[in-house]
Amino acid sequence: MKKTIKAIVTASMAVLIVLSGSLVAVAAAHAAPTKVPGDFGPPRGKPIQAILTSPPNVPPPINRNYPARVIVELEVIEKEMPISEGVSYMFWTFGGTVPGSFIRVRQGDTVEFHLKNHPSSKMPHNIDLHGVTGPGGGAASSFTAPGHRSQFTFKAINEGLYVYHCATAPVGMHIANGMYGLILVEPPGGMSKVDHEFYVMQGDFYTTGKYRAKGLQPFDMEKAIDERPTYVLFNGAEGSLTGDKALTARTNQNVRMFVGNGGPNLVSSFHVIGEIFDKVRFEGGSNVQRNVQTTLIPAGGAAMVEFHTEVPGSYVLVDHSIFRAFNKGALAILKVDGPENKSIYSGKELDSVYLGDRAERNLDAVTTATKAAASGALTQQEQIDAGKVLFTGTCSVCHQANGEGLPNVFPPLAKSDYIGQDVKRTIGVVLHGLTGKVMVNGKEYNSVMPPMNQLNDDEVANILSYVLNSWGNPGGRIAADEVKKVRAQPVTAQKAEH
Amino acid sequence: MLVVLASMQVLPTHATTTVEYRAIPPGSFASVLANDADIAPAAIPAFAMRTTPVSQGEYLAFVKSHREWQRGKAPSTFADGTYLHTWRGPLALGAGMSVDQPVTNVSWFAAQAFCEAEGGRLPTWLEWEYVAAADEQVFDARSNPAWRARILSWYSQNSSVPLAAVGGEGGGNANAYGVSNVHGLVWEWVDDFNALLVSADSRNQGDPDKLQFCGAGAISLKDRDNYAVLMRIALLSSLSATSTTNNLGFRCVRPLSVEKK
Amino acid sequence: MKAIFTLLSGFATPVFAAAIMCSLPLAADGAQVKQTALPANSVYQLPVSFTDQDGRASTLADWRGKPVLVTMFYSSCQFVCPRIVEALKKTEASLSPQQAKLPILMVSFDPVRDDSATLKAMAVERHIDFGNWTLARTDARSVRKLAAMLGIQYRELSSGEFNHSSVILLLDAEGRIAGKTSTLGEADPAFVKLVRKLKP
Repeated sequence: MKKTIKAIVTASMAVLIVLSGSLVAVAAAHAAPTKVPGDFGPPRGKPIQAILTSPPNVPPPINRNYPARVIVELEVIEKEMPISEGVSYMFWTFGGTVPGSFIRVRQGDTVEFHLKNHPSSKMPHNIDLHGVTGPGGGAASSFTAPGHRSQFTFKAINEGLYVYHCATAPVGMHIANGMYGLILVEPPGGMSKVDHEFYVMQGDFYTTGKYRAKGLQPFDMEKAIDERPTYVLFNGAEGSLTGDKALTARTNQNVRMFVGNGGPNLVSSFHVIGEIFDKVRFEGGSNVQRNVQTTLIPAGGAAMVEFHTEVPGSYVLVDHSIFRAFNKGALAILKVDGPENKSIYSGKELDSVYLGDRAERNLDAVTTATKAAASGALTQQEQIDAGKVLFTGTCSVCHQANGEGLPNVFPPLAKSDYIGQDVKRTIGVVLHGLTGKVMVNGKEYNSVMPPMNQLNDDEVANILSYVLNSWGNPGGRIAADEVKKVRAQPVTAQKAEH
Repeated sequence: MLVVLASMQVLPTHATTTVEYRAIPPGSFASVLANDADIAPAAIPAFAMRTTPVSQGEYLAFVKSHREWQRGKAPSTFADGTYLHTWRGPLALGAGMSVDQPVTNVSWFAAQAFCEAEGGRLPTWLEWEYVAAADEQVFDARSNPAWRARILSWYSQNSSVPLAAVGGEGGGNANAYGVSNVHGLVWEWVDDFNALLVSADSRNQGDPDKLQFCGAGAISLKDRDNYAVLMRIALLSSLSATSTTNNLGFRCVRPLSVEKK
Repeated sequence: MKAIFTLLSGFATPVFAAAIMCSLPLAADGAQVKQTALPANSVYQLPVSFTDQDGRASTLADWRGKPVLVTMFYSSCQFVCPRIVEALKKTEASLSPQQAKLPILMVSFDPVRDDSATLKAMAVERHIDFGNWTLARTDARSVRKLAAMLGIQYRELSSGEFNHSSVILLLDAEGRIAGKTSTLGEADPAFVKLVRKLKP
């Protein structure tokens, strides 16, 4: 019972601070001195002013071996900033940037948090830090009217990477307007040394105008509720991390990215094109997953990803829900400079014609036939061999690999009286197609064969030679010259009746 | 009593604008705020409301005749340190400031005092919300998405640009009640701003911690889509009675009978 | 005449309050004639007049001169308000004998129902010591202002109940807010410490 009352009192105290406006002496509930893991005792030494950084920068490592009182001063500013080229948006920010300033403390630190709401603000704001243990994550205690400031204190008892965000009603709109950031609670022993640390945070944005519609774009509540974002962005603006603003590193360096997702709605499939994350502390927690291609970052969640740079070039950070990357802006660049490493990645070794829909077939026969034709020594067998390969790619889809066609739909080529009646007629059929009724082996077919004039003369000749010498057809061969002549003739519609 | 009321008809004079109150007919109204005990629409008695927010010029005239409300004289228990801070002096508007702009940076106590001097008071939240539900054509436009989007667009405007004149362009169009600038110009104080017992952490709706607000718990928001109005509530609930902000002004209401006389 | 009065009833109170305020300075001046000006952040800057459980008239500023515990309540409240009384009693009990007679002022949210007789009945029921406790009512407009001054939130429900935040405030001799607590039903040790610090 006593415990219950204590909890209630604590909650009400938080409200009290808000109500009083000015900070009068507020009686605090007496805390039981139980040992909490991650609590390394009262703060020691002089209070330390936290270094806050704007994205994509990260404050330097803590390098401290005792718990301290760390003072964080964060200012809320509502300001118009570009969201894309020629497009601006009224952002609500923690520290003047989207995402907000990066906060770095040590596990066990006592954090004295000051939230200042700039006098030019229209809205009241507050902050919910996911790294806080206590009701609302500090939200009620930090509720601050424009031109006012609030203060509350918490002990960072859990290490990890945590999202913070505004939690003032309507919460979704405050987040949609850019009110989120990251707080890193380092383990007591610090983190492994790396060459670069970057701060990247995804968010989805909802504007009344379409993607890249110019001018100041207001927030679109309907789209936000329907979860239809106009923009999905890294660090609050299209182009915030590309071109001159791209992240940079050298080859043979260790890179750590603190990646958050503010939401408000979307879950990120975070991926760096061309890199494999050597280590991911997924969900910002303590487990390490190795060799990860894409890591899922929930809205209101974060991850620490690490990789080593081997090969120079531009690495593209994307939300691999890929339309967001190429149609809504979720794209950033890490530019890695340094010497090539051909043993890891060769660069282009071959540039040759690639025939997409024949990719799985051995085209040697075609190549042989092409060469033989060029030298004037093409044999009938070479033609048949090449024709067989080509037939498989182009014709067998309808006429089937065994030439039997499909009953009542596609006429057979096997033992076909239609072919036998006029062998040369087949050239025109292939080049110009065939539409309408046709009698084959006593059955009527009525469908459409499209013109196959994308095939060159050699290819048509070879395919037809293969057909003539297969499945009980009369044999013989068609020469490329014959195809060439038919192709040169004016097109007369190949009607079956004629 | 009636003698006192009659004397209230003599209104303060103002530099540029004439004070106009418009009769607001009685009605029944479903607020965005709901309480378990109060789900039925509220009955709103008739009253009269100022057609525009109080202007800088009007407030200047007020502090000239009510010295105790001049900046520097008003005790801090009635107005915080930013009270009228954009003025050049206790009796001088700020540089570039126009008498027609709405007055801001006034505390709840100051706004109440102004309205009382005009024979009225601040509107209750319910009265304000009732009038603010109207667009130019209908009394309750709240379900109209276009109306919602329009009033929401104010929040996308940069607040570093000077405020427009009251009754003027930019939301100055009178609504169906004949009242202007309800949206799109400034926030407005309400009489019972400290009755909006919304938990300071808006996500705690339905919190079983009923002791916090004497048995009934925090008010819940019934219409969660009406963002523009929800933001008014959020702002008002962040304030104490001495608070002043750059975008917070007020207007007054009065008994209807004063208008009729 | 009567009809008009009824029509005005919702608005009559501010006028009434204003009328009372006009007469206030006389009484206040009389009591404070030897005192220096009130601090700018004193709650006593607010002119509020009370009627107590015995029908005696007073003003808020009459409490000037000694530290005082102030809270707001309504007598028909069955749930929280008795616990506020309990918290006040236990706070009182944990003070030294000379501090124990610290004035305690409870102001009703409910001027309609809480007349002097009702307040008296409640006080008797709760075994309240009239030596240093005052249960008071004021007009509706002043309730709103006093609550605003003390940072207490409340609203009246259609049921006649009041929805309110529960706060006990400690005012110093000059009426400055020196402490607050929301602990109900028992003494808040940290709050008691603040009270002890203020010499009567």
